[in-house]
Amino acid sequence: MSAITRVGGPASRMWRGRPALSPGALKGETVWHALIPVAILSLVILIAPVLAPYGGTDVNPVGALQSPSPDAWFGTDEIGRDVFSRILIGIRTSWFAALGVILLGTIIGGLIGAIAGAFGGKVDMVLMRITDLFLSLPAPVLAIAVIAAMGPSLRNTLIALSIVWWPWYARIVRGEVRALAARPHAEAAQLAGVSRTRLVLKHLLPGAAAPVIVTMSLDVGNLILALAGLSFIGLGAPPPAPELGAMSARGLQYLFGHPWVPIAPAAAVALLALAANLLGDAINRRLDQRTTR
Amino acid sequence: MGALVLRRFGALLAVLFGLACIVFVLQTVIPSDPARAMVGANASQEAVEAKKAELGYDDPLPQQFTQYLQRLAQGDLQSSLRTRNEVTADLREFAPATFELAFSAFVLAVAMGLGLGLLLAGGGRAGRIIRIFLIGGASVPAFLTGLLLILVFYSWLGILPASGRVGDNFIVPDGPTNLLVVDSIIGGTPDLTLDALKHLILPALTLALLPALAIARTLSTSLTQVEREDYVRTARSKGLTERTVLLKHALRNASGPALTMSGLQVGLMLGGVVVVERIFAWPGIGLYIDQSIAYSDFPAITGATLLLGTAYVLVNFFVDLTQAWADPRIRTV
Repeated sequence: MSAITRVGGPASRMWRGRPALSPGALKGETVWHALIPVAILSLVILIAPVLAPYGGTDVNPVGALQSPSPDAWFGTDEIGRDVFSRILIGIRTSWFAALGVILLGTIIGGLIGAIAGAFGGKVDMVLMRITDLFLSLPAPVLAIAVIAAMGPSLRNTLIALSIVWWPWYARIVRGEVRALAARPHAEAAQLAGVSRTRLVLKHLLPGAAAPVIVTMSLDVGNLILALAGLSFIGLGAPPPAPELGAMSARGLQYLFGHPWVPIAPAAAVALLALAANLLGDAINRRLDQRTTR
Repeated sequence: MGALVLRRFGALLAVLFGLACIVFVLQTVIPSDPARAMVGANASQEAVEAKKAELGYDDPLPQQFTQYLQRLAQGDLQSSLRTRNEVTADLREFAPATFELAFSAFVLAVAMGLGLGLLLAGGGRAGRIIRIFLIGGASVPAFLTGLLLILVFYSWLGILPASGRVGDNFIVPDGPTNLLVVDSIIGGTPDLTLDALKHLILPALTLALLPALAIARTLSTSLTQVEREDYVRTARSKGLTERTVLLKHALRNASGPALTMSGLQVGLMLGGVVVVERIFAWPGIGLYIDQSIAYSDFPAITGATLLLGTAYVLVNFFVDLTQAWADPRIRTV
């Protein structure tokens, strides 16, 4: 493990072991290779709904609330929709929504962090104070308020989560950029008359890739849970869209008679988050190992 | 220590001001029309305009902002569109239940986190298995935990209640704290205390599980680091038992990060409260938010956001101070 382990982060971010990667210690290739399993899993999740025996919104009132059977593996819900089919589609939504938030958060945070790190001085101070402000507030509560303000929809949920998720990335990127700027290679580039933009893009930002990717990979699981929680309280895509959290919430009233209706989608969230967390852990250890060797 | 308290207090005020600013920005960008919502869908255009003027929505933004801050300072959070009450009155009604739940969950999370963290650190070769268990546990959404707990302890075993704060056959005392457990102890009704505690167990456990795992993980990491230090080796070579070394020597120095993590986890809990209160029909702020969302009741949601945000900032302020008090090295930083 790395010698320094950063502790903390927004509340939703409970993963320990963010490694202190030495800047620029990784070749780009290694970083991208670590992401291959993520790409494979994404592909599987993307095409899995092909296996769904029914459509996500196919209604069959006659077959409502049926127990799990070979025809409907996880039974049917209160209006006869096949729970298994809906879960496959719901998993796809959750997974890509989580990746989308991470990507958006990284882009916003990366941009702000890079600007703060590259300019320094007052720009840095103002941007970092704003970042600190967001880090000092409870992210899930803010996200709820933002979605409620903009109106519940999947798009707004993604925007709201990105708004509360970027500050960590801003801080990481800013730290890496500032650390790298003090290094000989950056000074050499400056002396060679490289423009500021090129200096940041070509000589400073690539060094931040490894720590950012480690953080991203550890975040996917947390985001899946956060998205599912928001969807559970009605802050996701409006019905009848098959979303795991919302499916579980609507099935709540059938918990005693037909437990599979609320439990199956909730268990799917757990499985998906588990897959993401195991992947994140593997990526973390792989990149960590390479840099501390 | 005094200078530190002052500095942290300054930061606290700055963050609260920032929170107020964020909520103001949200208020100005909402697509819905609060004035229309207040006078009703069938009201005439003149009535809407009049309400708008009355609420100050026609004023320039800087003026709206100062008015907004003045109202906040006076504790005026406008009226809920759904309940038609003052939001402050609503919050005062629902806050004690949430405080009781969140506080119990926090205590539970810290206790479980401490226990699990110590077990992990002392676990040795079992570490890998426990690591997998922790990753597994951290992947379970709160609503799955809640549903499973209800199925097992309410539906199958029938030993714990699964909804509300108290059984129907009890008369709920009217104050003084509105914390049911405390009030029933003051009022000398042990039956009620027991019933209230029983109602607390499942929701508090649901809310505490994820934070407990995070605290355990942080604690075990910092324990592993502290255990490499010379003074711990000295303690071991003196012939102290592993247990004494861990509890008397390593734990205090390793507790800082775990304490910080505990404070940060409160944020997760305050978000989780909305989910947990819905599952357990717990009449608190979370349920209030949940119902307000369905009505697009924006004054209620912003009011609750301000309250929960402030609570979170305050908790972390005190966590910071506790840490500085426990660890003199921090005071000088």
